[in-house]
Amino acid sequence: MQTLISGYRTTLSNILSNKQTFLLSVATITIAISILGLFLLLFFNLNGLLSSWNREEQVIVYLDDDISSSQKENLEDIFSNNQQVESTIEVSRETAWAEFQSNVSDNLKPLLSLEFNPLPASYKIRFRSSDNRLSHIREFSKILETQQGVESIEYGEEWISRFEKFMVFSKIFLFAIGGLLSLGLILIISNTIRLSIYSRQDEIELMLLIGATPRFVKIPFLLEGMIQGLAGSVLALFIIGGVHYYLKSKFQSSIDAMGMDFQFIAEPFLFGLIGLSVLVGFMASYISTFQFLYLLNKK
Amino acid sequence: MIQVFNVVKMYDGSNPVLDNISLEISKGEFVFLTGPSGAGKTTILKILFGWESFETGQVLVQGINVGKLTHRNVYTLRRSMGFVFQDYKLLPNKTVFENVSFAQEVIGHDQKKIRFKTWEALKNVGLTPKKDAYPAYLSGGEQQRIAIARAMVNSPAIILADEPTGNLDPDIAIEILKLFEELNQKGSTIIFATHSQEIMKAGNHRVINLNRGKVVSS
Repeated sequence: MQTLISGYRTTLSNILSNKQTFLLSVATITIAISILGLFLLLFFNLNGLLSSWNREEQVIVYLDDDISSSQKENLEDIFSNNQQVESTIEVSRETAWAEFQSNVSDNLKPLLSLEFNPLPASYKIRFRSSDNRLSHIREFSKILETQQGVESIEYGEEWISRFEKFMVFSKIFLFAIGGLLSLGLILIISNTIRLSIYSRQDEIELMLLIGATPRFVKIPFLLEGMIQGLAGSVLALFIIGGVHYYLKSKFQSSIDAMGMDFQFIAEPFLFGLIGLSVLVGFMASYISTFQFLYLLNKK
Repeated sequence: MIQVFNVVKMYDGSNPVLDNISLEISKGEFVFLTGPSGAGKTTILKILFGWESFETGQVLVQGINVGKLTHRNVYTLRRSMGFVFQDYKLLPNKTVFENVSFAQEVIGHDQKKIRFKTWEALKNVGLTPKKDAYPAYLSGGEQQRIAIARAMVNSPAIILADEPTGNLDPDIAIEILKLFEELNQKGSTIIFATHSQEIMKAGNHRVINLNRGKVVSS
């Protein structure tokens, strides 16, 4: 406990005596964490946008023309027994033809001269929102395909897989950016802490000479690195918050029509950013102090 | 108390600074370690303190095998010793009082005990009136007194002094020697490295004479 109290005091005095280096290091962390945070903000909002699009995604079950009433009942049972199904709309062949006739584009107009109705009857199925909505749609479609009386299924497979690939790519990109920025930060902070250590080299040597434990020597520098990380990340969150506030006040009205809202980074990720920054500060300080004490002990 | 057996220390791998050196110092003894520059006085003190490693031999300090200590546990040895340097090694941004109390802070004493023991140590070296002064504003003799107060404040069993009077006028040097003798009378074992004949004559203690890394006489 006494070691910790003394460590805090020494940390404060270190910071005060190396204010410029400390502030420079905090500014660097702030910039790096802001970049990461802004990417995270972009990711969250893209995710939200794509999710709102995929909420529109529905499964259309096209029926055989000669489907029996028992086969239809079987299909309706499957729909109603599925908890994820939000609504089912039955579209008869006649309704489908009428809709086609009213919405047909110019290049398909020759089809209107057909003397028979070529369109099948169908069910349009909407699903509730859930985390595994897309994979559920895919699995449910596979079940329906095997049912008698079903001619084909349409559910935007290509769109779903593209969306999933995009989200995977975004996550990898975020991890890569996060990893590279963390590595850069570790190098920068470790150099800042190294400067701090060398400015107090005589004092550290004296501490060791008069019986300080290596832990006693390390604690103030570890705390300094962690404080740099904490201060840098908190400032970065203010910047990200400011950018979010600006975008929301400027563009929210434009995206209202899409039923979307500018989202801020979710709380666990906010704490994650702070935690990452503090961890980076700790690791950088640990590397510097470890190297310094190692060289000192090699004498 | 201190036993050194056949210790060899080399800095460049060829010329030994300490050449198969052996010596023994009893508990409560006051010993002068002398010899010309480069004889190995400082090196042997640093080895006793666990600050330098050595190639071969064995060093026992209060039963602790110094060669077996690692950087993680060498502090246990150092806490039983006090070290006084020729260049004082005081922290310029700390006052006299803070310099002395620092030696207790690093080993984790509580503030009340630190204040009491620092005051006692400063009283013993006659520096209480200057407790709030910074080292840069004090004379060499006063600075060395601070270093002695710092070395004695944790009541160490052994005090190692590396040319503690090397930068001081003869009169002041004798005063400093007297402080060490007082500490010796209180029970501390003292190893006092010096090349000053005046100091050795004034002290009348056992002299270990080193030359080119060997014990010439003891």
